[in-house]
Amino acid sequence: MTSQLGKAPRQLPVIRACSIPRIEMAEELDFQYDPEKNYDEETLAQQKEIEREIVDTQQLVGERVSFDRLIREYAQEDEIYREKIEHLKNLYSCVRKTRGDGNCFYRAFGFAYLEKLLVDRTDVERFKDVVSKSLKVLVGLGFPQFTIEDFHETFLDIVNKVTNHCTHQELIDTFNDQGLSDYIVVYLRLIVSGHLQQEAEFFANFIEGDRTVKEFCNQEVEPMGKESDHIHLKALTDALGVCIRVEYMDRVDTHTCNHINFPEDSKPTIVLLYRPGHYDILYSNADMILFQRNLPK
Amino acid sequence: MAATRRLQKELADLRKAESKAFRNIQVDDSNILLWQGLLVPDSQPYNKGAFRIQIDFPAEYPFKPPKISFRTRIYHPNIDERGQVCLPIISPENWKPATKTDQVIQALIALVNDPEPEHPLRGDLAEEYSKDKKKFFKNAEEYTKKYGEKRPSD
Repeated sequence: MTSQLGKAPRQLPVIRACSIPRIEMAEELDFQYDPEKNYDEETLAQQKEIEREIVDTQQLVGERVSFDRLIREYAQEDEIYREKIEHLKNLYSCVRKTRGDGNCFYRAFGFAYLEKLLVDRTDVERFKDVVSKSLKVLVGLGFPQFTIEDFHETFLDIVNKVTNHCTHQELIDTFNDQGLSDYIVVYLRLIVSGHLQQEAEFFANFIEGDRTVKEFCNQEVEPMGKESDHIHLKALTDALGVCIRVEYMDRVDTHTCNHINFPEDSKPTIVLLYRPGHYDILYSNADMILFQRNLPK
Repeated sequence: MAATRRLQKELADLRKAESKAFRNIQVDDSNILLWQGLLVPDSQPYNKGAFRIQIDFPAEYPFKPPKISFRTRIYHPNIDERGQVCLPIISPENWKPATKTDQVIQALIALVNDPEPEHPLRGDLAEEYSKDKKKFFKNAEEYTKKYGEKRPSD
């Protein structure tokens, strides 16, 4: 979820030369342009304020919460969502929330998957191998080796730590350390970008607007804070060979959540909850038993 | 801090490259987040001088982009009177953490050498550049001679 602007700022009266994010125009018909005022700075200040509010109130990777607590986020009369949460309650044990900063898919995916590796080592060697080889793939695609290496090494260090010796709390702390956590996000973004470009011929069919796969990666994948869609999910799960399920909870009046597996006919290792613009992590009862039994102390 | 480690690496790399177009890189030992350097363009009308620029890296670098400003006055459609420059590669919403400072400087040099009047910060200069290039070049050259820094001799 990128910052939803609560108060829409005034209409920007001049053509933006610089790329100031476009904001829905407010209906302020009495607006008078004041040439002395710097509207760019005003808009930026407002955005910063919203970002700060999110940082203050949401952990990058939060605690697990029950569905009973989740349901309190919705109004009593919000029947569609309440019904869907009841449905999820039958299938899952709890939910772990992530910060709504536009990076939530990568952070939720990274955390949930590494957390799984803590208790189930089946996939460890294969995953490490894929990550090790990813650097060469990216450099081969023309990414600057110098900076890519930095992200690759940090990411690999974290994976090694998780698979050697790491407590649950250490993993949670790592993901809440903004510096380290963002390194993970950047590297996962690079993997998505690399995979999309490698399979450009296929993915070109799914890109909206008149742009190439490379342009799409530059605009919607590599910059921090850009939200993720099906195409990002498909690319990441394909590239890493990790299967996930996403439960979609939206306003569509279907009584239950729909789910999609990536890849389609796979058995998912982790489950994410999608609500418009945001991803959190879902845990099944089986997951919880596994954690209780196998989490390193 | 992620920023320090990466910037030290980038700085060493840039100094080793010994670019003629961007040189005399100065970084205070106490603050690796603030760089100054001399931009030496090779296209007319800016090849009559050199320009001091400052690069400010945020503490969140490389997750947030650096800011670039000119410390030497320049007559250029894309650089305003306060020395602010509009460079898409470092705009907050386009910034990619894997972008090297070297690439940013290359983009800056390209913009200085080849103004983009369709995305101006100074509309008056953009108009002059588009409508009367000869006049623009004359003014820019005079301005460069008057305010520009001395070009290194080698």
